[in-house]
Amino acid sequence: MSDPAGETGLDALARRAVRPTGWLLALLLPLWLFVAAQAPLDSVQGVVQKILYVHVPCAFAAYLGFACTAVGGALYLWRREEHWDRFAASSAEVGVLFCALVIATGPIWARASWGRWWSWDLRLTVTLLLFLVYLSYLLLRSFTEGSERTARFAAVYGIAGLAIVPLNYLAIDLAGGRSIHPENLQRGSLGPGMRAPFWLGVGTALLAFAHLLARRVELAALGERAAARAAAAEAGEAP
Amino acid sequence: MSVLLAVLWKDLLVEWRSRDRVAAMGVFSLLVVVMFQFAAPPGASPESRAHLPGLLWVAWLFAAILGLNRSFALELENDAWAGLALAPADRGWIYLGKALAALVLLLAVQLASAVAFGLAFAVPLAPVAAPLAGVTLLGALGISAIGTLFAAVAARTQYREAMLPLLLLPLLVPVLLGAVRATAALLAQEPLPWPPLRLLLVTDAVFLIVSFLCFEYVLDE
Repeated sequence: MSDPAGETGLDALARRAVRPTGWLLALLLPLWLFVAAQAPLDSVQGVVQKILYVHVPCAFAAYLGFACTAVGGALYLWRREEHWDRFAASSAEVGVLFCALVIATGPIWARASWGRWWSWDLRLTVTLLLFLVYLSYLLLRSFTEGSERTARFAAVYGIAGLAIVPLNYLAIDLAGGRSIHPENLQRGSLGPGMRAPFWLGVGTALLAFAHLLARRVELAALGERAAARAAAAEAGEAP
Repeated sequence: MSVLLAVLWKDLLVEWRSRDRVAAMGVFSLLVVVMFQFAAPPGASPESRAHLPGLLWVAWLFAAILGLNRSFALELENDAWAGLALAPADRGWIYLGKALAALVLLLAVQLASAVAFGLAFAVPLAPVAAPLAGVTLLGALGISAIGTLFAAVAARTQYREAMLPLLLLPLLVPVLLGAVRATAALLAQEPLPWPPLRLLLVTDAVFLIVSFLCFEYVLDE
């Protein structure tokens, strides 16, 4: 590590990414809302089908967040640079947020479509599980607070936790036709006029993810540098 | 390789001389099954008997966590941990030794409690003994593989014993899912289904490889 109070390349990248992603998001979000509102109504489900444009993009953003946690953890173990640990922890937090949105929007649709809020279906259960894996990740971080082990242990857990993500995506096939959750999207399974709002939603969610991640990394870097400065000031005063 | 055998031999010898881990795990798994009789009596109807494989695997899972906690608590005594970390060998082999020892102990407990379980619930285990042993081995391998890695992590956190189940239970769901489904099919006298078996095989392989590679970063000082 170079200067403890200095800014690393990744921190600078995050700081510089905050504004452009923010502006782009401010443009894309109303556009997506407009396109989603204009999209044709589903002939069977009616207006509640539109929750697809939020639910699935948020799931993609959550997957991306957990993948970033594993990648950041692996890079930390390899390079031993603190900023990769901040990156991993930040993306886990943002991923948990998007996962919570998935779990919150699902039941609204389920209530209208299945007649009940929740079903102990394999897909739903594994999504809840994914949420719990990353809550455990954050708990592990807080239970090892203040030691250099935090970053190493969290990195290992983040890498192992990634094993649950494919299980989540494949849960519908695994349930062998017994799942009541709609199937994964395949080519052409979206009706005419639904493709644009869906992919626009995916773009918006991923951009929102990038923006929040950049902000969180920037905040973590500032916190780190503030702590380093405070420690340096204390060391200077002590003698 | 010799490191693997040395660690395995050491763990088994320590266990053979005290026998406290296996005893604790065995009694605990029986207790879980007995507690379930009070919490949700299964009765004799086919529907309620369908829950037996799940009950059995949950009991084994809890017992395994109990044993895994001891696996590294043992190393913290007398600073044996430092000896392991200083061993001039690839730490992956140390991991494999610890994991194999945990697997042997878990299998011993599973064998004993499966016999007790079969008698207590009048489940005919003998006709499906061979495939059931295979499924049990795959399930126990997955539990020991990832369990050993995070037992080493949990031992160095503030909450030690409380931390391991928090870390392990969500990760072990694929193993539990595959093992329970395969066991349920076997106990219902059906042929062994492929999807849960494939899930078990893939999960075991992933957990073994990840743990083998990551153990180096967990065992320090």
